[in-house]
Amino acid sequence: MRKLVFISALLLIVACQQESKMDPNINPFFQSWDTAYEVPPFMDIKDEHYMPAFKKGMEENLSDIDEIVNNSEAPTFSNTIEELERTGKLLGKVSRVFSNLASSNTNPQLQELQRELSPMLSAHYDKISLNEELFKRVEAIWQDKDAIELTSEQRKLLNDTRKQFVRSGALMNEKEKKQITEINSKISGLSTSFGQNLLAETNGFELILENSDLDGLSEGIIAAASEAASQKMEKAETKEEGEKYKDKFVFTPHRSSMYPFLTESTRRDLREQLYNSYVMRGDNNNETDNKEIAAQIAKLRAERAEIMGYKSHAHFVLDDNMLKTPEEVYDLLTKLWEPAVKRAKVEIADMQAVADAEGQVFEVAAWDWWHYSEKVRKEKYNLDESAIKPYLSLDNVLEGVFSTTNKLWGLSFTEIFDIDLYHPDARIWEVKDKDGSHLGIFIGDYFTRSNKRGGAWMSSFKGQSNLDGRERPIIVNVCNFPAPVGDKPALLSFDNVVTLFHEFGHAMHGTLTDVTYGSMAGTSGPRDFIELPSQLLEHWASEPEVLKSFATHYETGEAIPDDLIDKLLNASKFNQGFINTEYLAASLLDMDWHSISAEQAQQLDANKFESESLKKYGLLDEIAPRYRTTYFAHIFSGGYSSGYYSYVHAAVLDSDAFEAFKEAGDVFDAELSLKLRETIYSKGSTEDAMDLFVNFRGRKAIIEPLLKVRGLDGSK
Amino acid sequence: MRVHEIIIFCFLFCVSFNAFSHNPEDFVIAEIERGQMNFENEEIAAEYGAALKRQRARRLAAMPLYKKFYIFVKAGFEHIIPQGLDHILFVLGLFFSCITFRSLLWQVTAFTVAHSITLVLAAQGLVQLRGDIVEIIIALSIVWIAVENCLYKETSKWRYLVVFSFGLLHGLGFAALLTQYGLPKENFISLLLAFNIGVEFGQLAVLVIAFLLIKLVLRKNWYSNQIKIPASIIIALVGLFWFVERVFQF
Ligand SMILES: [Zn+2]
Repeated sequence: MRKLVFISALLLIVACQQESKMDPNINPFFQSWDTAYEVPPFMDIKDEHYMPAFKKGMEENLSDIDEIVNNSEAPTFSNTIEELERTGKLLGKVSRVFSNLASSNTNPQLQELQRELSPMLSAHYDKISLNEELFKRVEAIWQDKDAIELTSEQRKLLNDTRKQFVRSGALMNEKEKKQITEINSKISGLSTSFGQNLLAETNGFELILENSDLDGLSEGIIAAASEAASQKMEKAETKEEGEKYKDKFVFTPHRSSMYPFLTESTRRDLREQLYNSYVMRGDNNNETDNKEIAAQIAKLRAERAEIMGYKSHAHFVLDDNMLKTPEEVYDLLTKLWEPAVKRAKVEIADMQAVADAEGQVFEVAAWDWWHYSEKVRKEKYNLDESAIKPYLSLDNVLEGVFSTTNKLWGLSFTEIFDIDLYHPDARIWEVKDKDGSHLGIFIGDYFTRSNKRGGAWMSSFKGQSNLDGRERPIIVNVCNFPAPVGDKPALLSFDNVVTLFHEFGHAMHGTLTDVTYGSMAGTSGPRDFIELPSQLLEHWASEPEVLKSFATHYETGEAIPDDLIDKLLNASKFNQGFINTEYLAASLLDMDWHSISAEQAQQLDANKFESESLKKYGLLDEIAPRYRTTYFAHIFSGGYSSGYYSYVHAAVLDSDAFEAFKEAGDVFDAELSLKLRETIYSKGSTEDAMDLFVNFRGRKAIIEPLLKVRGLDGSK
Repeated sequence: MRVHEIIIFCFLFCVSFNAFSHNPEDFVIAEIERGQMNFENEEIAAEYGAALKRQRARRLAAMPLYKKFYIFVKAGFEHIIPQGLDHILFVLGLFFSCITFRSLLWQVTAFTVAHSITLVLAAQGLVQLRGDIVEIIIALSIVWIAVENCLYKETSKWRYLVVFSFGLLHGLGFAALLTQYGLPKENFISLLLAFNIGVEFGQLAVLVIAFLLIKLVLRKNWYSNQIKIPASIIIALVGLFWFVERVFQF
């Protein structure tokens, strides 16, 4: 009996044992992390730890900088440039965790913190980039650069560092500096208003429909519109206000609401109404109009460029990119323009044929595009998404992407089960190199949830550097794939698969990197280059050989049939004329707005500017640019000015790079794979991006492979 | 951190807080296109629960069998102590009714055999009953046993039958908990067994502790009216409270 008592007491102790928790008064950001692989101790990090860590991090960062500046020794590469690499450790540590979690596992407190921190941090970084004493040291080393011995990586680091100071205005005199600061603050105010206006305009329109207006809409769409109406009714301030939504159906110019309506509704008049509400956002001559704001921003940017010694804002921006001048960008865009428009005309003819066969008497217009292209899709590309999904379980697709990188570079992935991350859906793997050595950590967080931002992205919890010993990275991919229901495995659409491969391409860029200085590691390159490693990997996902190896039915285990693969690949060419034309039109518009000189930028009428610009290129009436000026938030509110072309530029690069494997006759050609790793994936930004590409391909990129991939080469 | 990275980081920080988006649309105008994020605590908790279950399944699938076995024994035990308060009370109800250790043993055995049967059947998906109904009847069974303790001095013959049928019911309750926990398809039977073993250990622990408390601390025989009646009344009241509560939630 005593024994039993003992055993049961023991069992009780085991059962009631609480996991030992860290002292909540200790801020984990102030500790060194002795966790496995230095994965952040997510369980110990609480919302209230961020702000003190940010504050102390900024302080430490500034005192690190002071130490460099106050060094009595003459400036050298190692006591200045290299030391700069070592500054701001704590700030980097807390920033990485915070910026990741504020997106992938956020809450109202973190969102509020984000708003609070944003101006604090930009003021902080201004202090560093405008530090004159620091620049003096950098400049002294740079002036002396031909006399000192540096590796090519160090030379690039020196040049880049100096360039960043110069681009923030370090070479300007006091008067010019003051002007630039003034312009910057004006632009930032205008950008904010642009975004707020756009938000108000997008939320400001609603199409309230009766039961009799729902022709053609499917049940799910109707239910969502009815739900939208009842939500509006709940949120209405007065009862009277709410009454107008009673038993009604609401559609809005938000894409998630508009596209389904434009696709399904057979009521042409209503399609036109909703479509116009979308393209007229910011152009309604009311208090939330964006025309004048856009023109003002373009003017200020041109003036700033002039002060900095550039012909235009585009010249200033591109100086830092892979394509170095507006001429190069225009050259690329206009080369693609013609085949895209040509294809779009064929698509219009296809749609018109469907409309004519229906006995319609109108000519297909912009608001008919979604409705009739869907009919063409069903007729010509008839692909049943639900027939494909059972072959694409998340585990199979992961297996596929892992084995792809295994065949390319010999990498292996081992899932780790005893590390707790920030959410139980986030999974973690150790990545090992060909020779079995540790290469990095990969975290995949794939399912959508309500406290995660939309979209998909790659980021890191720890960077790579070889400066003070071998530091390997912790990379994360976040996606928004639908979570599995019940005991079924998570089944992806083919679009999801492409997204997964894309983000995994970024992850490989971040994992295979092997550079000395952390700031040049992985994905630190220019914007029109960094999508190359990600978009390149997408090509393997649609390679029949690869697809067959991982796409096996989750119940029967049979491989995806050939005719399904054919249909799938064929469908990727659907509507490409439209997609490319609207994208290129927006890119050209972006370039036009930013290639003007300060003189040309005075007194511009935004609508006149836009319509003249689009007329010049010959945009079809049936297609609007992906973004019109008044809702082009990327360039007037975000940071994509003179940069919207980046995605198609990277697409040209990746299609051409993959063509090399096609030419070799083996998508896993050993020699090429190794070359790809050595010239691109491992290099970070240690060399000029154009050189990296040329090193791999032996020449600059050509557009023909892309035209073929997108079905714009007239072959169909 | 170099100025270069600093500036880029700062820009990203202000614009999107993210390193690289898949599609430029995704971040820059996410709020404009999708509206602000809406935090529904219930939804977030439900998603978290589902994710936890998936994580447990992944972790289990990667474990050797002995480890899984241990985990399910532990889970079974925890479903009695400390989580299964209603099962504890039921077992205590049986405990206070018995004059002899032998009769207690038989009742507990009947209870165990019965809940093992339904646990296996329910886990296999052969028997199903709505969880909230099961919960209500379990509360009622506690009241029944406790009231019986107060009314009858001796254990009646049909008592075993009553205990057996309540055992069937409690088995369904265990099964509901077990499905929440997630039982992997491979090693199904052995892990079910492990879970059941854990439950038995839990029950045994309850009895032993109760026995020792009364015998050693109070130095009384467990079958004395001084203890049996008040204890049973308390148990009955708690059971009644649960019954009412669960009926209203129904
Ligand atoms: Zn990307």
